Amino acid sequence: MTDQADQSRRNFLYVAAGGMGAVAAGAAVVPFLGSMLPAADTLAASKTEFEVSTVEAGQLVVIQWQGKPVFVVNRTQEYLAQVDGHDDMLKDANSEAIEAVSAAWMDTPEKRKYRSIKPEYLIVVASCTHLGCIPLFKPTKGRKDWGDSVPENWPGGWHCPCHGSLYDISARVINGSPAPHNLHLMPYKYLSDTKVLIG
Amino acid sequence: MLKQLWIAAAAALALGMPAMTWANEGHGTALKHAEIDVTNQEQIRRGLTVFTDVCMGCHSAKYVTYKGLMDYPEIGISRELVDELRGDKPLTSGMITDLSPEDAEVSYGKVPPDLSLIVNGRRGGPNYVYSILTGFEHDPDGKVPDGNFNKYFPGNRIAMPDPLSWLDHDASDTAELEEQAHDVAAFLTFIGDPHQNERHTIGKYVVGFLILLTLVLYLLKKEVWKDVKH
Amino acid sequence: MLDKMMKSKLFGWIDERTGAEAIIKSQLTEYEVPKNLNYMWNFGSLALLVLVLQIVTGIFLAMYYKPSAALTYGGYTIAFDSVERIMRDVNFGWLLRYMHAVGASAFFVVVYMHIGRGLYYGSFKGPRELLWIIGVVILLIMQGAAFFGYLLPWGQMSFWGATVITNLFGALPVIGEFIQQLLMGGFAVGDPTLNRFFSLHYLFPLLLAAIVGGHVHALHVVHSNNPTGLDVHEGKSTIPFHPYYTVKDAFGVGVFLTIYTYIVFFNPQMGGYFIEVDNYVPANNLQTPAHIAPVWYLTPWYTILRSFESKLLGVLMMGASLAILFVLPFLDRSKVRSARYRPVYKQMVFLFFITVVVLGYCGHSAPTPTLKLIGQLATTYYFAFFLLLPLVNKFEKTKPLPEEI
Repeated sequence: MTDQADQSRRNFLYVAAGGMGAVAAGAAVVPFLGSMLPAADTLAASKTEFEVSTVEAGQLVVIQWQGKPVFVVNRTQEYLAQVDGHDDMLKDANSEAIEAVSAAWMDTPEKRKYRSIKPEYLIVVASCTHLGCIPLFKPTKGRKDWGDSVPENWPGGWHCPCHGSLYDISARVINGSPAPHNLHLMPYKYLSDTKVLIG
Repeated sequence: MLKQLWIAAAAALALGMPAMTWANEGHGTALKHAEIDVTNQEQIRRGLTVFTDVCMGCHSAKYVTYKGLMDYPEIGISRELVDELRGDKPLTSGMITDLSPEDAEVSYGKVPPDLSLIVNGRRGGPNYVYSILTGFEHDPDGKVPDGNFNKYFPGNRIAMPDPLSWLDHDASDTAELEEQAHDVAAFLTFIGDPHQNERHTIGKYVVGFLILLTLVLYLLKKEVWKDVKH
Repeated sequence: MLDKMMKSKLFGWIDERTGAEAIIKSQLTEYEVPKNLNYMWNFGSLALLVLVLQIVTGIFLAMYYKPSAALTYGGYTIAFDSVERIMRDVNFGWLLRYMHAVGASAFFVVVYMHIGRGLYYGSFKGPRELLWIIGVVILLIMQGAAFFGYLLPWGQMSFWGATVITNLFGALPVIGEFIQQLLMGGFAVGDPTLNRFFSLHYLFPLLLAAIVGGHVHALHVVHSNNPTGLDVHEGKSTIPFHPYYTVKDAFGVGVFLTIYTYIVFFNPQMGGYFIEVDNYVPANNLQTPAHIAPVWYLTPWYTILRSFESKLLGVLMMGASLAILFVLPFLDRSKVRSARYRPVYKQMVFLFFITVVVLGYCGHSAPTPTLKLIGQLATTYYFAFFLLLPLVNKFEKTKPLPEEI
């Protein structure tokens, strides 16, 4: 270290080398973390086709989409009638929380209420939005079929066995449940009258 | 003495070099050279057509999905074309031949190898593919039946019957058949390592940046070491 | 920068609880290193860098690799398929895999240079005998890790390489068959072999990391040798490791990474030397490839093996060729370390380097009578080099040593 000029040149080189080294290290992180994201074949398998006509009236089936369980319910007229009349019990009656789905297909008040494109076929992610358990399907009104596992004014819907979250027949979460959101919806579309492409 | 040793070492290396390249070429007849450009979309697409029309009668490319044919920018054919090629196989299916391994065994005596990695897995790579496809001849000794004698195949007796009908073709067709062999060699080279173009592109930036960094580190080293008196 | 950091309050807090300042001083800022080290001394830090690269890329590859020899369509296996999935579908999987495969070869390039430097400048001689011996242990574990790793893609070379090497152990009397079955977990290389090789391939680098720690510790006790081989006196002919050798090592890292990434991005198979052509063909236990040779970094020892008619003798001599490295510090009796001042040793060691290259070349090539003879001559010299060492100092006239470096 002889003089001032040398010192500043040295500092410049230190900073340049350190900076470039940091850039190199930062760039090196990209492929490593990137490799942990879903691979191309996993992404390619991220859409599921399903024939909804295989679900009988009043029945629920569980299918897989992206490795997650999904409920497909064929709601009867009776069930559809149970959607109305308890908006005051719901945290998010108009399903306003999920923007991606709103943009994809949930564009009318009807669809917001029934939470489906065709009212009779409800397709929702089957994981409770609290901590991911699969809720039990308890579609009929009142305590007749379910005992005291559901409240007295039970509108029919789902009851999560893990922490007691309740959802109505449109899978909207009921006040007092630990779950913060309605059961999740996903973008989907009808390829034909009865064939849906989920994802 | 030391100098002599260095000369000996250099001579050994010079003699060894050609041998090292041979090690990775075929041991039989020298292969014909196929000039391959894996960024040439036209050629790769033509090769794909040869592959689906000719090779896929017996061979598969299980690591290449139909979806890949749309997604790799080097091929990038349309969804309609892909649907036509795949028939009722799913998009995510590999390109699997309709010929069952059992039937192939009966017809040809062995199961045709999968072609996904044929270029990587043969000495000479694309040259090998190109040479084999244009290497069918009449056996000069008359022992191997026509269609099974291949000048470039190790041992000369090949189970694959002349796929491009190279044997006894009209001279006027030579250029076209050579182009087909060339195209399919290009396609197979691409699918052997479908990220190779991406790799080269990224590589230029990475190596360029590291050269700069190394230069800065060299200057830094020089600067810091000015302190050290020898 | 480092001194500023060491004055900070946070550092003080940590220092009180760990003694970090004393460690940094004794290992970096006040760790004395001879000032005359040449660039051959860069390969130690490079070896450490490659070890880290291998471990990190390996951990990420293991997230996708599946060690199963169960057959899939077209004569492939789940293991082979998982490697191809990494190459084709996993984001940047091709980069991780090529980094790992090229890294294996790079590791050996760097370590062989490091060993060659130690041989030439007499770094194995007292008081560094144990440092050298730990280094030989590292070499053996590295070779083991490389061998286990090469089986994993389950290609033809993987399979037949593993078959040949496990059969080597079978040649040993009495315990041979036992060791062979221990390695294979069956009567031939198969699915159990693949599973245990994967397990061991994950274990060995962790062993390496631990032993490398011991190697560095031993080095910092006895300090670096230098091109003159003289004992150095602190202060007069030494400089602190930091900043001088940190910047020099950093420059070496820059050069290394430039070459390494060039190969990774533009020629990862290295014409079949880093990833062999036959390993793109799925393993077939009914058909051996026409030409089988180990990867380049194991070929010198393969030649020694092939140079003997008797299988058992070949195996023993191959083992001896590695084992003899352990006793090297005790074979060489000369008081002078560096080959610079040892005219006879200098020629011997250069011839030794050439011999190893020749051995490697012979091992890589298909066996012919000429090559076999050359291989046998080279094998003879390989051992002669070591066995002549105790005699050399009896007649070698060393050159006068300088007073100070």
